[in-house]
Amino acid sequence: MSELREVISSGNDLSALAAADAGCRFFGGYPITPSSEVIQELSDLLPARGGVCIQMEDEIAAVAAAIGAGMAGERAMTATSGPGISLKAENLGLAQMCEVPLVVVNVMRGGPSTGLPTRVSQGDVRQAKNPSHGDYRSITLCAGTLSECYTETLRAFNLADRFMQPVFVLLDETIGHMHGKAMIPTAEAAEAGIVPRKSFDGAPEDYHPYECEADQPAVLNKMFTGYRYHFTGLHHDKNGFPTEEIETCRKLIQRLEDKVMMHTDELESNEEFMLDDMTGEEGEVLIIAYGSVALSAKESIRHLRAAGIKAGLFRPITLWPAPAASIKKYTDMIKNVLCVELNIRQYTEEVERVSSRLDIEGLYKVNGRPISPHEIVNKVKEVF
Amino acid sequence: MSNKTLMRFTGVGGQGVLLAGEIFAAAKIKTGGHGLKTATYTSQVRGGPTVVDIQLDDEEIYYPYANDGEIGFMLSVANVSYNSFKDGVQPGGTIVVDPNLVHPSDEDRKTWKIYEIPIITIAKEEVGNVITQSVVALAIANTMMNAIDKETLVATMLSKVPAKVHAANIKAYDLGEKYAKEAMANA
Repeated sequence: MSELREVISSGNDLSALAAADAGCRFFGGYPITPSSEVIQELSDLLPARGGVCIQMEDEIAAVAAAIGAGMAGERAMTATSGPGISLKAENLGLAQMCEVPLVVVNVMRGGPSTGLPTRVSQGDVRQAKNPSHGDYRSITLCAGTLSECYTETLRAFNLADRFMQPVFVLLDETIGHMHGKAMIPTAEAAEAGIVPRKSFDGAPEDYHPYECEADQPAVLNKMFTGYRYHFTGLHHDKNGFPTEEIETCRKLIQRLEDKVMMHTDELESNEEFMLDDMTGEEGEVLIIAYGSVALSAKESIRHLRAAGIKAGLFRPITLWPAPAASIKKYTDMIKNVLCVELNIRQYTEEVERVSSRLDIEGLYKVNGRPISPHEIVNKVKEVF
Repeated sequence: MSNKTLMRFTGVGGQGVLLAGEIFAAAKIKTGGHGLKTATYTSQVRGGPTVVDIQLDDEEIYYPYANDGEIGFMLSVANVSYNSFKDGVQPGGTIVVDPNLVHPSDEDRKTWKIYEIPIITIAKEEVGNVITQSVVALAIANTMMNAIDKETLVATMLSKVPAKVHAANIKAYDLGEKYAKEAMANA
């Protein structure tokens, strides 16, 4: 995907454009600030490309419609904000259990509950890891630039089809609404990059969608192509029918875990900003941030470096599964570590876990306002 | 270090201040630079204080909001927003207010260069369409800050409004420019 085009747009509009370019042909949504531009944009883009964009009666119906399209074999998406994810959670669990590919864009605003509708937050990071009950592994991508609102949405569609499960794309109010230049792949390059879900092309009587390798997802053929199977949220057998058979139940849930966790190398994506000259000497500062906060962190690093403080940023783009080995590499090397988040320690706790360190410093804000570069600079000077 | 212009437009929800910011950012990008617009608004759909930050720079812009204390120009068409956001303007910076709607204190007039231009009245009575106030504001900001080549800015503006109102918006731009020049000459 080397061919790039320059567009002047906002994060939400870029995410919508990426969906259309990725071959998404069904969007089921319900407008909610600060994500509403996604459904607004797709209501133009999808019908023009032979697709469907439907505003359902509520958040639950919106995700149900999108899962239905995913079950039928279409590339499907829904978009919302944190309160919408809370409502959609039960159906997202169904999609995990049935292994239905789906892209879920969450443009984060202040919570809990209806919170701060028009203001920025990263309060849904923990929610994205486990929105519903039971064992499964979330795949969550987080855009940290305007361009990534496009490229990460694009990537989410391929990952949803590769792993056969919902994939979250986290934006936040700042990045969703900021408006400026983005260099993104051309529509042709995006289309050329589409990797569709696997399908079975043998005899219909030999088709068992949930009978697969222990670390691989189900193979769900498109509906109405002569292959019959069953969907249920209950533990199910190789054809999708309910079962309580001991080994079948164990293998199914273990496979939901392993299909993701044995292939984290296919998921990991990070940005390392000003880290290449780090050597582990005294005084070096590692900042860990993601999403729009990373923009502030980069600006702060400009100021810190100008003041003679050697600082750099590690930015996970795939938040879940966390890039454990990469985080550990830097937290082993650099003593002074500062996590900056628009929540209270939601990702810091993961950094503590994977680094086995309990001396990670943090800068957090939960009043709907962004964290400025100056606040990060002051925090670094205060704690290290 | 960099050739950075920071501007802030403030009003209340529904006045159309967002569009002016998008036009500035797009015009700067067209000239090969970097432009970024962010908006902050409240959950009140109409009537809540709205602020639009515009950053224009030759270098890549990371943090999308204008840092308080660094803003060189602010324009305000609502008193509630003026009071909420004026402190972001650097001392000695320029503030343009609609005197029918915004009432700066004597202290404010010592801190900043404050110009009074009846933006809403110009749009409503001289252009004949109140919606063009955002283009009047755009012209005032650009004339005072000399941020973007006029031809590029007007062309970008016209690309974002329907063809049937091109003439009204060109008129709005010219009037904004005229009033800005007069205000500066009389200061």
